[in-house]
Amino acid sequence: MLITEASPHRTDTAITRTRPPRVRRTGSSGRLVTGAVLGIGALITAFPFAWMVAASLKPRSESVAYPPDLLPKHPTLQFFKQLFSELDFGHYLLNTIAVVAISMVGVVLMAMAGYGFAKFRFRGREPLFFLVLATMMIPVQVTMIPTYLILNGMKLTNTLLGIALPALVSGFSVFLFRQFMSTIPTELIEAARIDGAGEARIFWRLILPLSKPIIAVQIVLTFIASWNSFLWPLIVADDEKLYTLSVGVSLLNRQLATNPSLQMAGATLMVVPILVVFVIFQRFVVQGFTLSGLK
Amino acid sequence: MKRPRLSWVASAAAVSLLALAGCSGSGSASAASPKELTVWVMGDSSAHFDELVKPFTDSSGIKVDTVAIPWDSIDQKLTTAVASGKGPDVVQIGLSKLRVFADSGALLKLDDKTLQNYPNLAADKFLDGVAGNATAIGGNVVSVPWVSDTRVLFYRSDILSANGIAQPPATWDELRADAKILTGRGKGRYGYYIPQWDSALPVIMTWCQGGQVVGSDGMINFNTPEFQKAVDVYTGLYADKSVPTNADFDQVQGFTSGIAPMLVSGPYLASAINSAAPDLKGKWSVAPMPAGTANTSLLAGSNMGVWGSSKNVNGALKLLDFLSEPQTQLTFYKLDGQLPTVKAALADPSMTSDPLVTVYTKQLYGAKLLPLVPNWDGETGKALLDALNSIVLKGANRDSTINALFGATNSTSVS
Amino acid sequence: MKNRLAPYAFVAPAVALLLAFGVLPILVAVLVSLTDMNLGGLGDWSRISFIGTENYRRLLSDNEFWQSLTNTGIFAILGVPAVIVVSLVIALLLNRANNRYFRALRSFYFLPAITAIVAIALVWGYLYNTQFGLFNYLLSSVGLPQVQWLSDPIWVKLSVALVAVWRGTGLNIIIFLAALQSVPKEYLEAADLDGASELRKTVSVVIPLMRFAIFFVTITTIIAWLQFFDEPFVLTKGGPLGESTSISLFLYQKGFSASQFGYASAGSVILFVIIAFVTLVQLRARRTDVDH
Repeated sequence: MLITEASPHRTDTAITRTRPPRVRRTGSSGRLVTGAVLGIGALITAFPFAWMVAASLKPRSESVAYPPDLLPKHPTLQFFKQLFSELDFGHYLLNTIAVVAISMVGVVLMAMAGYGFAKFRFRGREPLFFLVLATMMIPVQVTMIPTYLILNGMKLTNTLLGIALPALVSGFSVFLFRQFMSTIPTELIEAARIDGAGEARIFWRLILPLSKPIIAVQIVLTFIASWNSFLWPLIVADDEKLYTLSVGVSLLNRQLATNPSLQMAGATLMVVPILVVFVIFQRFVVQGFTLSGLK
Repeated sequence: MKRPRLSWVASAAAVSLLALAGCSGSGSASAASPKELTVWVMGDSSAHFDELVKPFTDSSGIKVDTVAIPWDSIDQKLTTAVASGKGPDVVQIGLSKLRVFADSGALLKLDDKTLQNYPNLAADKFLDGVAGNATAIGGNVVSVPWVSDTRVLFYRSDILSANGIAQPPATWDELRADAKILTGRGKGRYGYYIPQWDSALPVIMTWCQGGQVVGSDGMINFNTPEFQKAVDVYTGLYADKSVPTNADFDQVQGFTSGIAPMLVSGPYLASAINSAAPDLKGKWSVAPMPAGTANTSLLAGSNMGVWGSSKNVNGALKLLDFLSEPQTQLTFYKLDGQLPTVKAALADPSMTSDPLVTVYTKQLYGAKLLPLVPNWDGETGKALLDALNSIVLKGANRDSTINALFGATNSTSVS
Repeated sequence: MKNRLAPYAFVAPAVALLLAFGVLPILVAVLVSLTDMNLGGLGDWSRISFIGTENYRRLLSDNEFWQSLTNTGIFAILGVPAVIVVSLVIALLLNRANNRYFRALRSFYFLPAITAIVAIALVWGYLYNTQFGLFNYLLSSVGLPQVQWLSDPIWVKLSVALVAVWRGTGLNIIIFLAALQSVPKEYLEAADLDGASELRKTVSVVIPLMRFAIFFVTITTIIAWLQFFDEPFVLTKGGPLGESTSISLFLYQKGFSASQFGYASAGSVILFVIIAFVTLVQLRARRTDVDH
């Protein structure tokens, strides 16, 4: 099956050094045109985002103005202030950070599983891996109530752990880890074993450091997913003090008389940190996918 | 190789995980101690609610923990609370959801015996339309009134008079005629706005024609001449092209921009208009619901219920009693803009001095609840809307669609 | 010494979680789909009764069910090729150079993927608004008639799909970029020597070498679009009159808004079977296609 396909074209030990990306030799005029086209595309793609930020700075009277203006005439930070002073967004922010932190533990668990599936042969490996993949096909709506009952049975409702647990591990990520780790030369692992290293030590000291690119990928993906998560925080939290940013933003949606600027401020608050994380980790993300043999 | 940064991250995560796992939300769902209450409050009113109950905490020593529930998510929260048996102590219940809550079996029965020590909770203190047995389901009362809401006619007095309409329409037929004139102002201009999600409107129209939607046998019955007249008005407004046909029409912007100079809506619209377009002051006002033979409007709003498995029933009832004091009701109106349900509060001079509020309160006295069927929002009301919308938006045959509606709804009962 | 139990220890935590929160719920759903469980039954199990395949029979005769299935199919047919093609083209273009500017562009293209759906709903809901939205304003300023982006039965599908495509390209662009960067130079140089043009090189050499990445993206995108939920939920709630209701949204509405858990579970089981079937078909097709 596709999973065990070897990659016959990979001959270099790319893992121990960063390879320079293969750049096609395009003429510089070709590059200019491409750059321009992409630039326009990027502006169009990012336009809704720009609108959101601009709208968060508009006083309420301007937000209902028609015809619409992109830039606010009298920009104001009042709505951002309101989020933290009147509404509980400082709290929501902390909760969100906490959920993200717990989710990072999930990254380690998935790395372990990917390693296990990639580098070991054991009874039940194929069926278990198939099950892992199968979980990707299960619609979320199915899982909501049974999952809540499970959490309730474990007395984890109304805890931050309970919020993070259902989405802690994903089949998709385990698959990616497995793909990546199967490209790690087995000789290295065998050498470490001969040297007397235990399995746990091999994992922590050898495998994980070699897997930095894919771990970077997973950190970014996990960060995004847990930062934006809405469903579980809402369902699992009995107490408003456990709400995350997503839930907080949706609270701003009154039944009929909405305050667009306030909502946009909440939404902007949600996007900016992730963007920062992505920009920092961006380089590793592409590298991580490259080296995981996805070609 | 670089020092394993990752194992540091992992250990930090593990430690914080353990710490956080122990850190559950302060105050469990149903407070174990008689000195605490957990209250579910809808939308973003929770901050105001906190302020409101400060005197209660001071005098009774009971700490009140509010949990804000997004309007869109109440179904989920209720479902999971029922599934786990863990709910709040007190819960705000939007009237359109009252039946769903009652059927879940999760609410405490509030019979005369339970309420006898709480004079403020006596049925005659509240608006007739929502007091006591008006909200009984299966013979049981499971909630007490909290805040009210109604529908009145909002109109742009400046636009109406500029088009030769001196007074806001007093009947639905007049409204239809006026809307037609206003639509004549030009392309993209309308006379009125019918929200496509508003299942209450056709029912209000039926009431105004002097009809009922519930038969004497307690079953839904749309098969009445009054309902047909209401459908005439509803479909007529569309046929005249006096109303917009898109689903995402924004009420506030529509009204302030003048595109829809007449609307039926509630008090929250007034505060939205004031904050979005303060310079419109004096150019708009409210009028009573247009009549047919009566001008009956909708009685909406929220009640308060006590969770059946609450461990602090006494505290919960004390809180409900506090919330039903006329002064508390007036304070909440000042804080949050939601109208009282207590008659004494509604008659207070501070309320009657505001001309807008006078219109609301007059409307409230005769207003009626939507039928307390098992699932108005999800089924009966939805069937009504789907039928009407398919006639006006998709051109479905009126008679066959309405007849199908009768068949789909006439076995739904209110008890 | 290789520890026999080591693999199980590594794999156990993640697999246990996936079983508990993935596999177990679907099994529960199968069970519940054979009952008439509703909100009352959820709180009091004695109020549940076993009704066999009644839910499935009702589903198959429910017009709204078929409508939502059809909509999901339409969405998938519109969206999946769009996402794949757009992501591929942008990745190919982005790969032409590796300077700071090009790398910075990546962040822009990734923005939609990282924005929370609640935020997306606000912005796009505004852009699409019939009377006051930006798009119709632009149309009217060049004299074109307004479009009911979210209310017209046909346009609503396109509008909702567009938002999902906008969101879905980010991650796939990154995946394709990665795949492109591991295309061995030797093949390209050989094609150059043969005198192949830029386009020819791309189509005949590069794309075939990216087969696996394209296949991977196709499978995950199809799975995602069959479970399409977020965009219709926040933009239109499935309206108008169910024109933009996907099967997932239909299940959610039946399960939560109407509290018909037995009914919704039956639908979920059917959806799961569809997804599994479609995925397996693709895997089979791929297997017979491998020709290395």
